[in-house]
Amino acid sequence: MKRNHTHIGKILAAICLAGVLTAGCTKRLDIGPYQSISESAALNTEEDVMVTLIGAYDGLQSAAGYGGEIMVLNELIGNSTNIQFTGTFAGLVDAWNGIMVSNNSFATSTWAVAYNCINRANNVLSAIDKVTSSPAKKASVEGEALFLRAAMHFELVRLYAKFVGDGDANANPGVPLVLTPTRGITDADYRPRASVKAVYDQVIADLTKAETQLPSSNGFYATKWAAAAMLARVQLMNKNYTAAGAAANRVIGGSGRTLNTDFKRLWFTFIDNGGSMPTEYLFGIKVTTQDGTNALNTYFGRNVGIPGTAGRSDCKIRPAHIALYSANDKRRYFFLSGGSNYTGKHLDRYGDVPVIRLAEMILTRAECNFRNSTTLGATPLADVNAIRTRAGLTALTVSQLNLAAITRERYLELAFEGHSLPEVKRLQTTLGNFSWNSPKLIMPIPQREMDVNKQLVQNVGY
Amino acid sequence: MRRFFLHAFWMLLAIPAVVSAQSITVKGKVTDESGAPVSSATLQIKKTNNSVVTDASGMFTITAAPGSVLVISAVGYEQREATVTGAALNISVVTDAKALSEVVVTGFGGSQIRRELTGNIARVKAKDIEYLPLASVDQALQGKAAGVFVNAQSGKLGQAVTVRVRGTSSISANSQPLYVLDGTPITTDDQSSYGGDMNPLADLNPNDIESIEVLKDASAGAIYGARAANGVVLITTKRGKAGKTSVTFNVQTGYAEATKRLEMLNSEQYAELILEGAAYRDNLAGTPLNDPNSWTSYVKNDVMDYYSYGEWLKDPKKTYDWQDVVFQRAPYQQADLQIRGGTDRTKFFTSFQHLDQTGTIVGNKLSRSTARLNLDQTVNEWLDLGVSLSLARTWNRRLPDDNAFSNPLQAIALMPMTPFLDPSTGLDAGTPPGDVNIPLYYNPLLTVKYGRFIQDVYRTFGNAFAQVKILPGLTFKTEFGLDYLSQNEENYFRSETVRNQTRAVKGVGANRAAFITNFNSNSYFTYKLNRKIHNLTVTAGMQYQESSSKYNFTEGLDFPSNSYTKIASAATKSGGSSSQSDFRFLSYFARANYTLMDNYILALSGRMDESSRFGKNSRQGIFPAASAGWIITNEKFMSILPVVSFLKLRTSYGIVGNAEIGNFPQLGLFTGDAGYAGNAGQRPSQLSNPDLSWETTTQLDAGLDFGILNNRITGEIDYYEKQTTGLLLSVNIPASTGFNSQVRNVGKLENKGWELVLNTQNLVGKLKWSTNVNLAINRGKVIDIQGQIIEGGVRNMNRVEQGYNVGVFYAPEFAGVDPANGNALFYKNKKLADGTRDRTTTSVYAEADRIVVGDPNPDLIYGFTNNFSYKGFDLSIFFNGVAGNQNNIFGMGRYSSASMLYEDNNTADQLRRWRKPGDVTDIPQVRLFRVNGSQESSRYIVDGAYMRLRNVTFGYTFTGDVLRKLRMEKARIYVSGQNLLTFTKYPYWDPEVNADSFDSNIAKGNDFYTPPQPRTFLVGININL
Repeated sequence: MKRNHTHIGKILAAICLAGVLTAGCTKRLDIGPYQSISESAALNTEEDVMVTLIGAYDGLQSAAGYGGEIMVLNELIGNSTNIQFTGTFAGLVDAWNGIMVSNNSFATSTWAVAYNCINRANNVLSAIDKVTSSPAKKASVEGEALFLRAAMHFELVRLYAKFVGDGDANANPGVPLVLTPTRGITDADYRPRASVKAVYDQVIADLTKAETQLPSSNGFYATKWAAAAMLARVQLMNKNYTAAGAAANRVIGGSGRTLNTDFKRLWFTFIDNGGSMPTEYLFGIKVTTQDGTNALNTYFGRNVGIPGTAGRSDCKIRPAHIALYSANDKRRYFFLSGGSNYTGKHLDRYGDVPVIRLAEMILTRAECNFRNSTTLGATPLADVNAIRTRAGLTALTVSQLNLAAITRERYLELAFEGHSLPEVKRLQTTLGNFSWNSPKLIMPIPQREMDVNKQLVQNVGY
Repeated sequence: MRRFFLHAFWMLLAIPAVVSAQSITVKGKVTDESGAPVSSATLQIKKTNNSVVTDASGMFTITAAPGSVLVISAVGYEQREATVTGAALNISVVTDAKALSEVVVTGFGGSQIRRELTGNIARVKAKDIEYLPLASVDQALQGKAAGVFVNAQSGKLGQAVTVRVRGTSSISANSQPLYVLDGTPITTDDQSSYGGDMNPLADLNPNDIESIEVLKDASAGAIYGARAANGVVLITTKRGKAGKTSVTFNVQTGYAEATKRLEMLNSEQYAELILEGAAYRDNLAGTPLNDPNSWTSYVKNDVMDYYSYGEWLKDPKKTYDWQDVVFQRAPYQQADLQIRGGTDRTKFFTSFQHLDQTGTIVGNKLSRSTARLNLDQTVNEWLDLGVSLSLARTWNRRLPDDNAFSNPLQAIALMPMTPFLDPSTGLDAGTPPGDVNIPLYYNPLLTVKYGRFIQDVYRTFGNAFAQVKILPGLTFKTEFGLDYLSQNEENYFRSETVRNQTRAVKGVGANRAAFITNFNSNSYFTYKLNRKIHNLTVTAGMQYQESSSKYNFTEGLDFPSNSYTKIASAATKSGGSSSQSDFRFLSYFARANYTLMDNYILALSGRMDESSRFGKNSRQGIFPAASAGWIITNEKFMSILPVVSFLKLRTSYGIVGNAEIGNFPQLGLFTGDAGYAGNAGQRPSQLSNPDLSWETTTQLDAGLDFGILNNRITGEIDYYEKQTTGLLLSVNIPASTGFNSQVRNVGKLENKGWELVLNTQNLVGKLKWSTNVNLAINRGKVIDIQGQIIEGGVRNMNRVEQGYNVGVFYAPEFAGVDPANGNALFYKNKKLADGTRDRTTTSVYAEADRIVVGDPNPDLIYGFTNNFSYKGFDLSIFFNGVAGNQNNIFGMGRYSSASMLYEDNNTADQLRRWRKPGDVTDIPQVRLFRVNGSQESSRYIVDGAYMRLRNVTFGYTFTGDVLRKLRMEKARIYVSGQNLLTFTKYPYWDPEVNADSFDSNIAKGNDFYTPPQPRTFLVGININL
């Protein structure tokens, strides 16, 4: 029996050992991620809201958003006669040729990125009451989030829907309007397209509120003037020249910003300016060595031997475009030749992405004043000549001033900055074989979205 | 409770053995051919119930009458008889080479003789995988285990390998099997930050392996519960043997080269095509060809002349095949030393290996050094201890992923008129101070010369165990395993690479470390009862595993010069991060195998798993399985069919799970990686799902094992049905929500298939010839995904469609070329009211509906090996293959088999393009920068079937006096060839392909400038002391 006791001892030892190993194991399964936090712990304090707002700018900064692809698409579709695209991204080649199909990869990514940014902004808005340190701060944070949400809704409706002035904006489908943050997926998340008018109304409401709430200066983040400038852009598309001119005038008068004396100093923000954004940028996207991509640089840029220049050399500028500038126009010499011609605007690998420049506001005010026969802030002539003088051109006289002269100046000044497609639609010009209202100039609702959301209707021709 | 169990044990044991009188006590030892003791051998006095079992030193004591006959049987050895002549009896037994007698490892200390196996387990032995030029052990399974599909993806060294056991049983979760090395589930996930996925199995020396068992059915797998749905691969390393110390030294050397080159256009052909495309555009726009703004002028001046450094105008015939500088003949060297021996109480196995392998693609190199010591110690009659330790260093100079301009194979896109060297500098085209915008795209050789990415892995596999014999038949084993992976990745790209690494203006360098600690403990009781009629083995215990992955990263820009490559010298610290992710499993398992009269076998097993990966609402899962077998040949009625020497029917049914669902898929999360312009930010990153749990796979297996002609022909036939429910789907949701997908447990899929294994000994005389064949047919089908859209791969062409296999290719169907105008045509394929599809064609791509146009999953996989031996000669010929699958070549095809849409060089078949009305061809008209047929379509979905002469090895073994004088026992010299021949219709480099840039669980069969497998030639010598 002694022997049996030994066995029992061994069994006991083994069971004890197993017991020790098991003890507390179940509790050890309660672990969480390290780089992420629960959504319930994410928006409880003012600091939480502030970092979420930064996150919304991060979303805005995505390559497929204001990182530049929105502008690239507007140029490739809207300026195809002046650009020779020789890149191999099929989505861009098709956009440039006006033969996009519904699974265009750039259509897919820009859509997703814009709504991702909108969701981030909506998260900020949903927790705005947590910002309690001062009413001014709360107003500013809310204004910034509204600005970001409005900017993305506006870019979406311009790219993916009929022009607001084409047919009945109340009937034409725009894009889904998303005004609440997503927490779970319910039927309500399968949103139909709101009408073009409804989207414009929301964008205008958001920007109007943002303008009142935002501060005059806010570093390179959205300011009162960024909101007003975006509003001017929206109202110009909307052909509400009074509102557009007034908004532009508020920016020019209120911001205290002036045109850079040297056109060249508007670019190479990293190489020349050490990364500081020119004051002429009313809003731009910061690119640093740590963070961000300038997609205009990616497709328009080229390594021209200056350290810091880079790019795929995909967008070659046709000689016909360069011929549009007068011989003494400084902007004419802002093209680089290397086998083919390239614009000098987007060569800087870490250059900030210009979204709205003061020059645009001056030209908007000039056009609105001219159309309305008003002189709000300044005469149209003075505004146009301010731009011309900076470019080294002689001033126009009153008799030389007409709408075509203003829009031509606008085209040359803002070339390859993402204005081309809206200008074609707004001014109802012809683009190669396409008329301004051709369905080929409207991006497809991404096939991915059509597949997953039966509430959506596709654009004509896709 | 404990008391109850103890009583139960005692009751089971209370059947004393009866000893007869007039007997003597016989003592002796049972040894094998090499003189090593054979433990656990049963000696039974014939025609009685009296038997004894040998101890760890092979010793036995039995009481028997002189003249009586002992029947000695030991697992893995041929049964023999010996007559008792006196008090001492030493018996030697020989290893049973017949497949039915092999011992199969079943996990948690279990093993079973194949004859009695009721689950389905494929086994690959050391002999099948030794000294092959394969970097990782998973590749060694290719063509060797029925129903195990292995795809090496590319010819890059040390890269991940796709392994599927009985089809793909998941959609969004990982479908790779669980790998268990000597009891410890090891880290097999990719840890790299550059190039494609790397393969953590490359840190294991394949020559250390004694056997690999693949647990395929639910009965075999259930003991691994929530982790067994994709199959379990048990790797057992070699251990010491008592007896003479054996020293084996093997050295092999040779070289490798890429298995294939592609035929591309030469300069004249290129010029012909691109000018044709330019003229088309000019005619369309009404521009005269000689207009300076014309496409033709652009192509001549800004393309062909510019990118040839002006050479093209001087000599339009001069041509450069960029494959010449991309592929290389690559040396291969490997040396192995293995020492194995021990005494009755102490046994050891130790090995050392050094491998130096150069890639067949420039810039790729791998070296590995490993050392292992496996030690077993018998402390006393009830305690055994053991330890295994493997140290490995794997150093890999890696290639970028396939979808990178710096992927050397992308040089194939460069124009044939672009010289390799810049005539102005004599340096590689594109090297500063020459024009850095030549060639057309970045010259990948610059990254080979001026950049490097080194992955340096130190890996420790350690395992220690104690085994206690508590009672006769009852043992307790506890083991601790550690898998520690320490990886450093260091890269530096000099300023010469700036066109590709646009941040490398003054150099860019990064350093990343990964520390993966994976700790595991198993503790279990095993009870064995061996009686004349009943044989019972019960195992029960628990397992706890804890894995922690920690990463850190730093990156710097602006180095003082190219001589400084460490981030300490970088003026700008451009990036830095650290991160961590953990998972844990706590599991209880049990298994019982019962054999009645050697004829009827029943096995039950089960496991309960809890894991940190599962949602709060569903943390525990129970996975049971049962199997049964009937050895029909043991029945009397089978004696009428003497030709059938063995026949067993078996069936199994059970439930297993797949928990490879990521570490925290159930939580609604914000992530703090959304900084902007130097300020920290957070973003919503994942939608929550507290109900999320493992995927459940129920599997039915029915099999027949047979032996014919005294088991000279043996084999297995299996039919299985796997039903996976609760599929974890990364479901597409409207992007307007701000999210692209959400993980949900919905959906069902199934895999059904047949497997056949056949082993024959065709000739058994002096000339021996044996054949092993395995083949498997699998049909996977997605039953229900609730209408969700799940896609991936190149341009999202891989898709999950109800009624089809996982990851089928989904695209419009190409209908050839309109002879009238050269337009590419597509079938409209619109669904009509009657359910059929509109088979009219259109040249408007948008009018063509997408349909399923191919399947990357093979229907049939097979391997067959013929082994010959004659006197000292041995020859082994091994083929394997797949059939019924398609590959997607759109990745490269849209650029290089695209009727010269872009300026990329094209494959020579594009010369067949449509040129004038009436031309009947399958290659549309060339239209520069205006797409004509090179969109996603079935045009780029091609037959991926192949049969490959995977290995031929021919050797001669010297024995005899000369060797003995040299103090050698045996010496073998051999030559060996890997991937010698490939039979396929595949148009690109290698049908065994899967582009690393696009690889996901559902995205298979894509080719994207993917490097082909190497063809390796080796000579080797193997010396046995």
